[in-house]
Amino acid sequence: MNIEQLPIINLILFLFMALLIPLLKRRPFKITLILGFIVMCLVLASSSHLLWHVNEVGSFSYTFGGHEARYGIEFLLTPFSALFTWVIIILAMIIYIYSSGDATEGIEQSEYGRYYVLLFILLLSMFGILYTNDLFNTYVFIEILSITTCAIISIKKKKDTYTSAFRYVMMNEIGSLSYLFGVALIYMATGYTNISMVSESIQVAFASYPFNIVIALAFMVIGLGIKAAIFPFHIWLPDAHSSAPSTSSAILSAIVIKVYLLVLVKILFSVFGIDILEQMNMPLILLILSGTAMILGSIFAIAQKDVKRMLGYSSVAQVGYILLGISLLSFLGLRAAFFHIISHGLMKTALFLSVGEIIFYKKTRKVNDFDGMGFIMPVAMGVFSIAALGMIGLPLTSGFISKLNLGIAVLENNYLVFLVILIISSLLNVIYYLPIIILAFLRNEKYHYRMTTIEKTPRTMITPLILLGILIVSLGLFPNVIMPYIEAAVETFIS
Amino acid sequence: MNIIERILENINYIGAVALFLIGLRIVVLHSNLIKRIMGINIMGTGVFLFFVAIGNVSGGVVPIVGANPEGSTFVNPLPSVFILTGIVVVVSITVYSLSLVIRIYQNYNTIDQKELAELISEDNNEH
Repeated sequence: MNIEQLPIINLILFLFMALLIPLLKRRPFKITLILGFIVMCLVLASSSHLLWHVNEVGSFSYTFGGHEARYGIEFLLTPFSALFTWVIIILAMIIYIYSSGDATEGIEQSEYGRYYVLLFILLLSMFGILYTNDLFNTYVFIEILSITTCAIISIKKKKDTYTSAFRYVMMNEIGSLSYLFGVALIYMATGYTNISMVSESIQVAFASYPFNIVIALAFMVIGLGIKAAIFPFHIWLPDAHSSAPSTSSAILSAIVIKVYLLVLVKILFSVFGIDILEQMNMPLILLILSGTAMILGSIFAIAQKDVKRMLGYSSVAQVGYILLGISLLSFLGLRAAFFHIISHGLMKTALFLSVGEIIFYKKTRKVNDFDGMGFIMPVAMGVFSIAALGMIGLPLTSGFISKLNLGIAVLENNYLVFLVILIISSLLNVIYYLPIIILAFLRNEKYHYRMTTIEKTPRTMITPLILLGILIVSLGLFPNVIMPYIEAAVETFIS
Repeated sequence: MNIIERILENINYIGAVALFLIGLRIVVLHSNLIKRIMGINIMGTGVFLFFVAIGNVSGGVVPIVGANPEGSTFVNPLPSVFILTGIVVVVSITVYSLSLVIRIYQNYNTIDQKELAELISEDNNEH
């Protein structure tokens, strides 16, 4: 087997598993779960190998059917795509282990199979988006991703999920079609859809058809902005994320939004290039959007009484942090953004999964009902606290490192205003995360030291939570383990 | 006269953009859910028309090798191929969102966005 075929084999494995699940309907569900786990382990192994390969040996590309890249579809394996597919599969595995306990809250037993079909197609499309080096192919994978995410939201047979899924599908479709319009304009000006070829000829095209390129950039940024919940386009996010089952919210908030942000990075840096962006004042626009997102997202989060809606608004603010790193257009900024994508992925997964466990056992989503929860569900609340402290940005957690990096990147460009906004936003995080921790651990003395009140939770739900807690802390203590890979990923865009 | 000539030259593109904007208006402003899905379709048609218009070469012939005399100019076939994929994608989105509308109608007995919003806020107040 050739190493160049590994990315395609990853995709085929996911597709194969998604097709196999309906066939195993009559068998005990455990068989499906174990097979799915094996598939994920195989993909993890091959992604790890690819990550090692691109960093040690070098990037490579694969063209489908032997057609040259101009006409055909090209998969490009760079340190960037290898790193983020690896991160995605690790997060997905943790969520998968958690959901294989009976924590798929609100989904009927007969729907489990369908849920996992959607999960595997979701992973397929995200891998495809990161591997592909073709603008139109990216569009096709984006559409697969948006249909499956909408379906995974509406899988619960509850009234409100249908309306929030409908709103999500409409917003998403406006986003995808805007993106496609951008692709059309770029194709018109350059004659390619292959990203590397477009980037070679875009300077010439910009000189002769500036109008096309400007509109294309606007359409693509807005389209991907809607999908990534960048501030003024975030309205679908809190509804969609709070009405979805907890495991899906974790996938949506921790992985799916980030994939769109990564596509945005690809578009901004690989397709248009820094020169054109600076001529069009794009960094300033994105900086303003990210600043408002950081402040207003946190303020909205304070007002929420439902924990999952609060986490949704917190995601809006966190997207602002990542966008801030991207829009600095510098090596340090992009490094901070990539690190925050990983650390926020870990923290949001931990938050959604621990909240999911609490909702599963206590059937409550109100922030006020968290009284004394720390004594009833010590592991879930413990991991929640670690992740929440990480969100605030306390040292020893990965959140501290990403905020430190962001701060350094902002100072390098002398944007003192954004350092102030960063600090204010962190303080706002304190306002909505800390009361929950205090309520859970420091109030309601009556639950103290009574072991009998501790809930018995299945091991499949506890293990991933503990794993996440350990990962958050160890990434905060030893960020240098993953930093070389992140820097290699940044170097594919800024050398 | 010059302006009219330029408009006539670029009528394909102008039509495509107009369709896109009409569709966008319907999606954003209409309160009927089925009309909003139609809006998505109109938007999609606009983008597809744009793509096909890019591929057109004036005086070009159908790009089949061997069927035409040598040296004739071909129409660019690549955008049409893209659009075949695009049409399939928009059809699947339409099917999915229509099925959602059926579920919404079964639960709320209305497909009007404003009435839905009232019903949902009533639901939330009861809890």
